[in-house]
Amino acid sequence: MSPLPPAPVRDPAWSLSRSAIRLWVAQGVLGTVVYGLAVTAFLLLVPGDAGWVVPVVRWAGPAFVVVHGVVTIGVRPRLRYRVHRWEVTGEAVYTLTGWLTRTWTLVPVSRIQTVDVTRGVVQQVFGLASVAVLTASSQGTVRVPHLEADVARRVADDLARRAELVRDEAT
Amino acid sequence: MTGPGEPAGRRTSPWVLLLHTITFKQARGLVPVVLAVIAGRGLDGPATVVALVVGVTLLSLLWAALSWWRFSYADGETSVVVTRGLLSRSVRTVPIDRIRGVEVEAPALHRLFGLVRVRIDAAAGSIGGKQEELVVDGVPRAEGDRLRTRLLARRVPAGAPAAPDGEVPAAEPEEELTRFDPRWLRYAPLVGSYLAVPLAAVGALFRVLDEVPQRWKPDLGRPDLPGTSVVVLFLLAAALVLIAGSVVGCVVVNWRFRLVRRGGSLIAVRGLLTRRHTELEIDRIRGSTVSQGLGMRLVGAARASALVTGLGDAARRGQLLPLGPRSEAWALAGRLVEDPGPLRVHPPAARRRSVVRSCAAGVLVLAVGSVLTATLGWWWVPVAGAVLTALGVPLGRARYAALGHAAGPNSFAVRSGWLVREHTVLQRRAVVGWQVRQTIVQRRAGLATVLACVGAGRGGYAAVDMAADEAAAFARAASGSWSSALSGSSALSG
Repeated sequence: MSPLPPAPVRDPAWSLSRSAIRLWVAQGVLGTVVYGLAVTAFLLLVPGDAGWVVPVVRWAGPAFVVVHGVVTIGVRPRLRYRVHRWEVTGEAVYTLTGWLTRTWTLVPVSRIQTVDVTRGVVQQVFGLASVAVLTASSQGTVRVPHLEADVARRVADDLARRAELVRDEAT
Repeated sequence: MTGPGEPAGRRTSPWVLLLHTITFKQARGLVPVVLAVIAGRGLDGPATVVALVVGVTLLSLLWAALSWWRFSYADGETSVVVTRGLLSRSVRTVPIDRIRGVEVEAPALHRLFGLVRVRIDAAAGSIGGKQEELVVDGVPRAEGDRLRTRLLARRVPAGAPAAPDGEVPAAEPEEELTRFDPRWLRYAPLVGSYLAVPLAAVGALFRVLDEVPQRWKPDLGRPDLPGTSVVVLFLLAAALVLIAGSVVGCVVVNWRFRLVRRGGSLIAVRGLLTRRHTELEIDRIRGSTVSQGLGMRLVGAARASALVTGLGDAARRGQLLPLGPRSEAWALAGRLVEDPGPLRVHPPAARRRSVVRSCAAGVLVLAVGSVLTATLGWWWVPVAGAVLTALGVPLGRARYAALGHAAGPNSFAVRSGWLVREHTVLQRRAVVGWQVRQTIVQRRAGLATVLACVGAGRGGYAAVDMAADEAAAFARAASGSWSSALSGSSALSG
């Protein structure tokens, strides 16, 4: 197969925090454990000769848990880390997200309306936070997931301050 | 009926009691209860009917009175406060500088009492829907106009070039931009939304007929006509009903539509039964859309809308020309936003992708159908799949033909859509962000979809499947210098 043509636009410069990989792995482990418990409960509680679907589920359930575990723990965290990139330039915030469908989003500082920093429960364990930059357009939102908490704080403060300075009408 | 001081609440006109009693505005919630009573007791004799009617009317009056009594509004120095609620009081305060538009409408019954309904639009961005507006229902026309001028005059910032303080907008010269020509009604049967009116009416009629007890239905017998002529007659009648209904629907909505420019605003007035008066601030207009449905393209008709920042219910309120000749729509759109020049055609790879996508559903049916033919003998499934696939080719080509984009010195344009072709022209300053999307297929074909994020209209307008290597240049040409971050080496990091 011929090599992929170059990307239509430049990739942002910076990666997320390396802790993001550990967070995604942790989320994968949690998800796999939940599914594993559900499948175990099914195997223990539902008799094997209950109906025609049950034997299928007895096979498919554990297989699904194994595949889910491999993908969400072994593969996806690293892939995600390699794809997600972000950058704050002098005039704009720039991100790249997505794996199969890639999305580059660029928002100028002068059109920023609000900057949100959120810290989920799992994120707090790993000392991470997400930044969301909102504009007047419902589709023009930039989200940077999983930065180190103090980096996120600094970026948000910096963006909010600069947006205040250069904002003309923001719509 | 007005409060003594400025901040004190004003009440709506007491006539609104009568109005709401007649229309059962508040008592509509009782309909299921009444139906239940009828179902339980049966309609034995006229006495019950009279009692029910009187009871419901009294309840409705009581309800309307309570609502009227508990409702007040106040337009203060800096904000509008609306207080309402029978048991739980709700107080909504909207700062005047957040008000994006004020619409005064006069439904037929309101006009009988000389009243209007004022909708105050305080939507932030294009996210909020109807909940973002305040409705003051039933004030005298003069009070409605006073509210509108006051709220809108306040909103103009101090340094704006608009006009000195204390202006009376009515005294300003008006320039008529367009006026609905009754000849344009002939386009109505080809517009989907107007065709929906008679269809909905016929549907409702059949539902009502279903409810009528069998013994009350007249026995028409069976007409002594051969089957084919019945079918032909029925189809003819249906076509006539559709055409007439769509024209009537168009008349009701657009009767005596006028678009005028007065000072810094565009004012649209329209409607036969309900007169609507919508005011758009020209300074907030960021672009325009000329849309043409399939049928409209056949006869050269079009619809033009303005894209206004922070306008709720934008699809209806932004309309500049609900229906008219293409040339008229283009002229209007051209007055708002400069034309960026002829559109660039998208690369042949976009045509291939479009055709493949349009045929995909047909191919799927074909594949599933082949299996079904082999197992169940359903030969007609693959035949349908083949027909769908064949139809996909012209459809895909037509969808490709609709694609295009252009960037001019002060504006840019994107066009797409086959069922409804939308040609949107936006000002450079409209862009609040860019989004470049690429699926795996697009990546292999060297295509990308470039979405201009805009704080008006739908929120984003896309140039679908443009050549990937043109994406950065297009964004740079269509917006400010900040967008060079997409192409050049990274700028100074902040």
